[in-house]
Formats: sequence, C-alpha cells, structure tokens
Amino acid sequence: MNSGITRPMRQAGSVDEGELRGELADLLRRVARGDRDALSAVYARTSRKLYGICIRLLGNEAEAQDVLQEVYVTIWRKAGAFDAARASPITWLAVLARNKAIDQLRRRRDGEADLDEASGVADDRPSAIDLLEREQDRTRLANCLEELDEQPRTMIRSAFFDGASYPELADRAGVPLGTMKSWIRRGLLRLKGCLER
Amino acid sequence: MNTNSSERDVLAAEYALGLLTDDDLRQARELFESDPEFRSAVARWSGRLAPMLDEIDEAAPPPGLWQRIESRLPASRSPSNVIVLQRRVSRWRAASAAMTALAASLALILVARPGQRPLQPPSTVPTAPMVAMLGDSGAAKLVATWTPDKSMLVVAASAAMPVDGAHSHELWVIPEGGKPRSLGTMPAGRHMMMHVPRTLSGMFRKGATLAVSLEPAGGSPTGLPTGPVLAAGQLETA
Repeated sequence: MNSGITRPMRQAGSVDEGELRGELADLLRRVARGDRDALSAVYARTSRKLYGICIRLLGNEAEAQDVLQEVYVTIWRKAGAFDAARASPITWLAVLARNKAIDQLRRRRDGEADLDEASGVADDRPSAIDLLEREQDRTRLANCLEELDEQPRTMIRSAFFDGASYPELADRAGVPLGTMKSWIRRGLLRLKGCLER
Repeated sequence: MNTNSSERDVLAAEYALGLLTDDDLRQARELFESDPEFRSAVARWSGRLAPMLDEIDEAAPPPGLWQRIESRLPASRSPSNVIVLQRRVSRWRAASAAMTALAASLALILVARPGQRPLQPPSTVPTAPMVAMLGDSGAAKLVATWTPDKSMLVVAASAAMPVDGAHSHELWVIPEGGKPRSLGTMPAGRHMMMHVPRTLSGMFRKGATLAVSLEPAGGSPTGLPTGPVLAAGQLETA
C-alpha cells in the first residue's frame, strides 16, 4: 500500500465544515433518543468518508462493508456518549471507523473470533471519547510530522494508514523488531514534543 | 514528566496507532480497562493523529448497505442478537469444544433463535443451515457452517493453519459451474466468523464449493485464486 506518500493536508475551518459540524451534532442527539431517520441522515452525510477509511485500512470491500455496518450499529448504540463540547462529530465518527477497522485487522491477525474480546482500541465508552478534546489543527500535525526523520515519519504514517503492527513494519523494512520499536518510539516522543510546543 | 509516565504515554500512542501485539497488547488492554489516565492518554493520541484521517479518499459504499445496517439495529437498546451470539461463541471457545461439536452447536443455536429479526423480503435463498467439510486427500481440515437467515459463516479449523508473513489464506465460494468469488483472507487462528454481504450470500447453496487457497499476503491480486488450493468441500444441508 502507498502509505508512505505525503500529500498536503487540507485546511480546516471552512463554512461548510462548520455547518456540517452543527448539523451532525444535532443529528447525533436525535440518534441518542432512538431516532432511526436521524441515523439515516448521519449515514447519508458521513458514509463515504467512513467507508473510505475502512477500505484504506482493510484493503478489501467485503470486510470494509462489514466494518462499516458495525460502525453505524455502534453509533446507534453509543450516540448518547458523544459530547459536542469536547469533540467534533466527524472526528469522533472517523476515529471510531478507524478503530473498528484496526480491530478487524487484529482479528485477522490473531484469529480472534469474538468481537467483544477483540475490541480494545475501538472502545466506544464515553471515557474514551471525552478525550478527543485536544483535537489538533491539521497544519500543525503535518508540520510536526515533517520535522521527524524520514524513517520514523514513514513508519508512523504506515501504522496509521495500514494499521500495520510493529512486527509487520519490521518485516517490511527488513530491520530487527527492536530497531523498529526504537525508531517509532523516538518519533512519537518528538511528535508529541512538537505538538505541545 | 518522569520516565515511567513518559513510557506510559508512548504505550498509549502505540496502542492508539494499533502497533502492539502479544504481551504488549495485553498489557495495554489491561491498563486501558483499569487506568483512567491511560484511557485519557490513548484518547489524546487518537485526537492528535485524527487530522491524518482527512487525507484518506472518500469512497461510496454499495447501494443497499444502509438497508443492511437498518435491519441490524436492535429495536431496544439491549445487546443485539449478533453480540449475544458472539458471546456464546466465546464461551464455547473457552470450553475448547471439539471442532465438529462447535460447528454443530452453532448450527443448533442459530436455528433455535428464529424470528428475532425483522422479516426479510421474500427470496429464493434457502434458509436451512448448511455445512461444508473442507479437506484434502487426507482428512477434513475445516468445517464451515452457513446460517442463511443471519448471513453468517463460521469456519473452524481442526488445527492452527500457520502461514508466513508473505502469504495469506483466502477463502472462496464457488457456485456450481460458476467462478470463484473471494470471501476475504482468513485470520491466523482456528476460528473465523463473518457476516457475508448480500452480493455473495446468494451463492451459498447446496452443491456450491467452499475452498481455501494460498495467496500473497493480503489476498489474491487478481480477484481469482492464484495459489494452490489447501482445502475444499461442498455445502450440504446440515
């Protein structure tokens, strides 16, 4: 997969985006009250983005469709946990879709048949969602990623977009597992330092 | 920040990215369950990295997917049948049920829970569960159980099917006289459970063949089997 490709990130904050944010937040409140039409409207506005995320991580349509279904069933069950004051709705939904896709990758990897047991990152309890509060500006993230050395940057992007694990990344790069771990850990610490400046 | 909390924060980032496996993954999961600070750290990292999600191209899901989602929504907020079923599967696994016993009990449970979903539109798709024993010249390697009214396929292997990093096992359904259609690559463990999309579920009929082939990692690049067939068998009424 072409995970190493760097593209300029889009700018946030257009008028449309602001409107969508408010609209989605309202719809999610209705979903939380059990309004199926509202979920249908959320689907109409977000399914292309979330399906794109599922396909990017899973690499095949059949699994992406299964995971997309799981995502919206989860939204139906957990919309009450969404707090518009702390996270943008589209970010909440996109992170949820990525986490569900990562879970599916782990099931593939570990042969875990039980969806409940498999979910770790895809935890959708309120506590996990509250803390999207410090959602960072895209340009800033892009700049901080640019500050990293090429290896850790490429590997972090690969992990993010392919859901690749440490052993898979080490395998691909042909380096020992320990080397891969120290590249990425150093990269993550630098990234954090940069984002918090 | 002391070393320990800094290590914790890196672990949270690794967990949020999905990098961890085995013991590290277990440790992170336990912390996630038990430590609110760790949960916060994971969520902060998710938020930090989330802007990258905007780089991913959108894609239109197939028409009809919304209807599939709607049919899965529980009427109340209680756990859906699928979740209940998954919990049962989990318990059977814990009891290390024998392969055929597992397949048989799945068929029983699935049959024993009729009428809990909205009525499906009339169709010619058979509704009785079916089983396929996938083997080679020696013995059955896998048992597949197909439950039409749930569109659920469960595959249990008699032994782990090891595969190296360069290859994947890919599962196929082949209608009588038709071309193989991919059901995706299989997980490395002994059981897999999948919800079969409607576009493929119509192919699960008596006489159709289920087969597993060895493919490059991630699955066949052509959409048709390219490697050797490791096991195959026909669907029969259970």
